[in-house]
Amino acid sequence: MRKSSFFAFAALALGFANADAQPSAQKFSAKEIEQGRYVAIAGDCAACHTAPVHPGEKPSGEMAGGYPINSPLGAIYSSNITPSSRYGIGAYSEAEFARAVRSGIRRDGAPLYPAMPYPSYAKLTDADIHALYAYFMTAVKPIDSAAPTTNLPFPFNIRTSMRIWNAMFVDEQKIAADPARSAQWNRGRYLSETLGHCSTCHSPRGLMMQESKSAPLSGGPLGSWFAPNITSDKVSGIGGWSREEIARYLSTGSVPGKGQAAGEMAEAVTHSFSRMNPADVQAIAEYIATVPAVRDDSDKQAAYSFGHSANFETALRGDSKPALGSKLYSGLCAACHGRNGDGSPDGTIPSLHHNSTVGASRSDNLVSVILHGVDRTVGDRHVLMPGFGEASFVQSLTNAQIADLATFVRQTFGPGDSVTEKQVAVARTGSSFSIILLVVRSAMVLGALLLAGIAFWRLRRTSGGKTA
Amino acid sequence: MNQVSFNNGDADADVVIVGSGVVGALIADQLAGEGHSVLVLEAGPRLDRADVVENWRNFSFERRAGNDFQGPYPQSPLATAPLYWPANDYIELSGPDGKGFKQGYIRAVGGTTWHWAASCWRHLPVDLKMKSTYGVGRDWPIGYDELEPYYCRAEEAMGVSGPNDPAQQSPSDRSKPYPADMIPWGNGDEVFAQVVNPHGYNLVPIPQGRMVKPWQDRPACCGNNNCQPICPIGAMYNGIHSVEAAERKGAHILAESVVYKIDTDENNRVIAVHWYDTNKVSHKATGKTFVIACNSIETPRLLLLAANERNPNGIANSSDQVGRNMLDHSGFHCTFLADRPIWLGRGPAQSSCMVGPRDGPFRSEYSANKIILNNISQIHTATKKALAMGLVGEELDTEIRRRAAYGVDLSISLEPLPDPNNRLTLSKTRRDGHGLACPDIRYELGAYARKGYDKACEQLEHIGKLFNAEEFHITTDLNANNHIMGGVIMGASSKDSVVDGNCRSFDHANLWLPGGGAIPSASVVNSTLTMAALGIKAADAISRELAAA
Repeated sequence: MRKSSFFAFAALALGFANADAQPSAQKFSAKEIEQGRYVAIAGDCAACHTAPVHPGEKPSGEMAGGYPINSPLGAIYSSNITPSSRYGIGAYSEAEFARAVRSGIRRDGAPLYPAMPYPSYAKLTDADIHALYAYFMTAVKPIDSAAPTTNLPFPFNIRTSMRIWNAMFVDEQKIAADPARSAQWNRGRYLSETLGHCSTCHSPRGLMMQESKSAPLSGGPLGSWFAPNITSDKVSGIGGWSREEIARYLSTGSVPGKGQAAGEMAEAVTHSFSRMNPADVQAIAEYIATVPAVRDDSDKQAAYSFGHSANFETALRGDSKPALGSKLYSGLCAACHGRNGDGSPDGTIPSLHHNSTVGASRSDNLVSVILHGVDRTVGDRHVLMPGFGEASFVQSLTNAQIADLATFVRQTFGPGDSVTEKQVAVARTGSSFSIILLVVRSAMVLGALLLAGIAFWRLRRTSGGKTA
Repeated sequence: MNQVSFNNGDADADVVIVGSGVVGALIADQLAGEGHSVLVLEAGPRLDRADVVENWRNFSFERRAGNDFQGPYPQSPLATAPLYWPANDYIELSGPDGKGFKQGYIRAVGGTTWHWAASCWRHLPVDLKMKSTYGVGRDWPIGYDELEPYYCRAEEAMGVSGPNDPAQQSPSDRSKPYPADMIPWGNGDEVFAQVVNPHGYNLVPIPQGRMVKPWQDRPACCGNNNCQPICPIGAMYNGIHSVEAAERKGAHILAESVVYKIDTDENNRVIAVHWYDTNKVSHKATGKTFVIACNSIETPRLLLLAANERNPNGIANSSDQVGRNMLDHSGFHCTFLADRPIWLGRGPAQSSCMVGPRDGPFRSEYSANKIILNNISQIHTATKKALAMGLVGEELDTEIRRRAAYGVDLSISLEPLPDPNNRLTLSKTRRDGHGLACPDIRYELGAYARKGYDKACEQLEHIGKLFNAEEFHITTDLNANNHIMGGVIMGASSKDSVVDGNCRSFDHANLWLPGGGAIPSASVVNSTLTMAALGIKAADAISRELAAA
């Protein structure tokens, strides 16, 4: 009975799709299209759907997908979301488009992997969805080339089980305005919880990889990186940051003396926050600054508050066999960050003391930044700290060397703990686009759900057979 | 992608390249990218940047003040390069100006662009027609128009910043803009331009292989001002960047592999080169095409060392020109204290240069020159002088500050003419770690450049007056500029030249000798970009040959 009702639903959905007006016939106002362009920026669609171009490679095109997310299970590719009828979303009706964005269901009915942050987009207003649709259908250039197909091995290739997960964890109820708060705060909440999808990375996840509702935005692992606690706690979170500092961080990626964006946060700054209206960025800061504090009792001081200008140079020069970490620091880091770790006076090159990456309770981000570097563009300003992983143009370091270097930095400018070679080895295998960890874990949970589902269905069928 | 095949320690590849410097690495990068199997044999070791940076920082004040740029680089004991602190006498110099030919070059994976100023000049069109225009030197067998597209590709490959204002270009004959606009000038460059340019000296921005914005995976230059002996952050182009790019495309690099012998067949095609490994065990590399790109000293040395029965005077040497026509921009310095603060040392080591005296009808009589405003921090020089003055305490500090601000160092390059008597030969007495003969070089500046020196001194004295110079001094000893050229000179005829316009040897149809050794006229500008352009031109020619075969 359950099965047949599912098929009936699917047939209904299909019929509905066929009956819907073709998008090309629709007319959109210039204002709607412009609003949609802005919604696409605020939602950071391009971060995944426009594959970055590496030197010597041919660009696949804006929103044409093909960004490979390398995982131990194989590459997962973002899809072509240009209005190409054959390879993109050109044939999608607005309702189908809304279903894909909010519910993670493709036009053909197949569920998407939650690498697409539809659990956040679920709460988008109809107006924003409409504008987004208008923009994609009219202003994005159709690109008639297929993004590579994602072929994960069994059981990760069974997308259907995502439906169960969706039913359990995706809440499509719209956000009700809080009349006790300012319009700015309410706008900030809407942007943060929907388009900004902050919680996708910054909220811890439960057993089924669902976002935690009990301690939202209190931090979560992200491949080799760790998306930090951004609640208002003064020790574990960013309660010590002013609203202006939060806004500055989002729009420029750098607040000297506090922290700099790297990894996926650098991508979010590059493609999204830095291009948003200052008023909206300010609104996000207004909301984020009020997120209920979550304290980790093992934290004793704020990440940005550690360290001071160091002086080890004199001792190093007198030492014929210096500790490897200090020698590597002097040889590879000091030329920019300074022998004292002070960075440049204008803050272009960050200090290493008073630096959230160095002072964080977990060393993941320090190790990741040494491995992968920093790559961030705001306007015409491109910030690039080279990485020291494989094929570095400066010097490729071994896991042991990175452990020594990171330990030296943690002990000279940060909380004083050590980084192990094994930790670096694990970080090195983590993809630089590390939503993958989420996907893989989800897939594993889904695999389990699927098996449980099959067992349940067999049980039902067996018992049904007996009664028949 | 074809892979190099190995069998019992011997190797076989489509292309065998000896030397992994900028020229060999760019060729390896291109040909590996086209799918050919590429083996690169490098005599020196693989380096870690941090070691070299720290070696330099740990040097004594004297070695740093004396610009010992060779010293920080670890060498293989089996493949030494010149050292001067103290001298290792790897090269024995003779002739009237032998002492002015103390070249610095690096034998290591990536080559000498580990320590360079990254100045990426082009020759002037007329530099390629010295004989027909000015009646001196030699003409190239190719014109500037043929070389120009390769200059563009070399600039792209090395990520060059240069002035996009044609008035500041030298030459302005360009088909494409620079990959990035000029590195912004510091105070010294600006002040100098204001003072000297009304008098025709034409101080212009130096095109250079670094940027003030990130370029591909290279960070932005942050002005450490120690391009030599090493860029500590990899912002400056180093040959190792091209080596790594080639490796990602499948090229195979063997470090500490010293080539010493070359086999040729009955058609005088090269069929194999032999190398020694670190255990002094010999191996053989066979291939379709061979490239020797070991700079203008090691390439002719290898060709002479590898003389065989069919080529008794050395490989590629039927013209007897291998090892002859050794060239460098023999140089000297002019120092003084200006009447206003200059503040040398902000930004890269070389940022602006006077090109007014680079060309003119006078070149039929005497050498052109270029005058670099040597943008190296004056603190070492100032400190040495202030200490010698016997000052202490606050007076010492004040004097160091004054001299660091007002001190000027100009580096002048001359253009010697190719002279077959300026010659590299094999030592009969000195041998390297593998027992291979070391090089001897005889060098004489020649009357043409000597007269150019005198004319340059007149210009310098004029410039000194413009700044009301104190302690004005011009060095009389020549210094080497490490722009080693000649040795396998390019020309139209196999009678008087070693290679043709594509750097292919006249004697061996599948042997290419690209780089500085082929350059037939020195001009007055740093030779690396021209070497790289010739390398890419050779790579195109090799590619065509491989496609035809």
